[in-house]
Amino acid sequence: MSNLDRNSESERTLAAEYVLGLLDPPAHAEAERRLAHDPHFAREVEQWRTRFAPLDETADIVSPDARLWSRIENGIATPPAARDSEPGMLARFWNSLGALRAASVAGALAALLLAVVSIGSLQYARQEAIRKPIYVAVLVSDPSKEPGAVVNAFADGRVEMIPLTEINVPEGRALEIWTLWDRQVGPRSVGLLQRARATQLNLENLPRTGENQLFEITLEPATGSPTGRPTGPVLFKGTTSRTL
Amino acid sequence: MQAPGKKSLDGEAGCIQSARLPGKGSESKDFSGQRPKFDREPFSRIKTAPMNPRDPAQDAQLSAALARCAGGERAALRVIYDLEASRMIGVALRIVRRRDLAEEAVHDAFMRVWRSARSFDPARGEARNWLYAIVRNRALTILRDENRFLSTDDDDKPDIPDLCAEDAVARLPEASALRRCLEKLDMRRRTAVVLAYVHGLSHGEIAGKLAVPLGTAKSWTRRGLISLQECMG
Repeated sequence: MSNLDRNSESERTLAAEYVLGLLDPPAHAEAERRLAHDPHFAREVEQWRTRFAPLDETADIVSPDARLWSRIENGIATPPAARDSEPGMLARFWNSLGALRAASVAGALAALLLAVVSIGSLQYARQEAIRKPIYVAVLVSDPSKEPGAVVNAFADGRVEMIPLTEINVPEGRALEIWTLWDRQVGPRSVGLLQRARATQLNLENLPRTGENQLFEITLEPATGSPTGRPTGPVLFKGTTSRTL
Repeated sequence: MQAPGKKSLDGEAGCIQSARLPGKGSESKDFSGQRPKFDREPFSRIKTAPMNPRDPAQDAQLSAALARCAGGERAALRVIYDLEASRMIGVALRIVRRRDLAEEAVHDAFMRVWRSARSFDPARGEARNWLYAIVRNRALTILRDENRFLSTDDDDKPDIPDLCAEDAVARLPEASALRRCLEKLDMRRRTAVVLAYVHGLSHGEIAGKLAVPLGTAKSWTRRGLISLQECMG
């Protein structure tokens, strides 16, 4: 087998592994970049998608819940600031979630906060600096003080929210995430979710996240607060602390 | 405590377990000679719909709808939804394995389609391929996020119960080149490739499922893909 053949074979396998979803997050991101700029690679990817497409047809037909379309419709009517984040970014923070969750069961808020920060920083110390959040906020339930979510803010401006518990969202309602960095300006919506799940928060148009910045999750109508300010009950809230 | 999935996995002899057997015989044995019966649906609430062969006219329709989405026409997104959402949920459900998460994946996919419709270029590929790649990507992201949540306590770890590669293969039309070529593969390679595509398994999960080291799972998958490409051209 010539080098050329070997190259085209490894290119083809790479395209196939990308299509299957087998690449690790950095390789996946690299493949995605090439897909946009490398016509040869894009052709390989398209060929693999076509080869595997008949398997999609073997999936069952599952009628969507009647609310699905209205959620989508609301989503495309909402201004970008309140929309869900771009996919793919969270993959890079997988490694942190285990430690955070382990910490979450610890109980008391002080202990928990300390544990999150220390376990977090122990683990992160071994990784690239980019993966280490500079601020962490543990959002706790107002009455019970039980932790409900963690917010991590990274040096490059990205902020993620990771729920630590199931949150019951009644029909027609949604979880809205807010942040307050300046009482003069008031709280700003940074995310809207139909159910508790890890998500990237949308803080791109806001000043950089800092110490003691308040984050809270409220229960709002499915399309988000009609007033642009929190209207529903506060489920969880907490402020950021600087990591070690 | 026994995970609920464990029980059905034991009953899966024709499926995962035979793929795990190390015997030389299974290496080259043609799958059609020992096809297991599939009397159990993975998701019993959901009815299997008849096969819907790919139709070039429908792809043109999707492609046109995407062009209208790029122009900001919301009704065009609804056209795509009406044509594909129910199949998309089926595709996502095989990956995330929970109805609510499957709908979440499809929801996210439609948001993505709406925002990136402009980047779809019909000269570079089929509309359906583009749409389903987005759905699978969203489902995989949700699956990996969910798995990561559960990965601290081993008790919590999802068992990935009763995932069956042969089920999906058996549903392919007899005449399909993909089916013919998959059936030519050594069963373990076929299982690796199909579980990755259909159920979104990672190399590590494939290794666990087939009870082989990670490197072996990777090389089986790769060789399976190379043979598949040679067979399908």
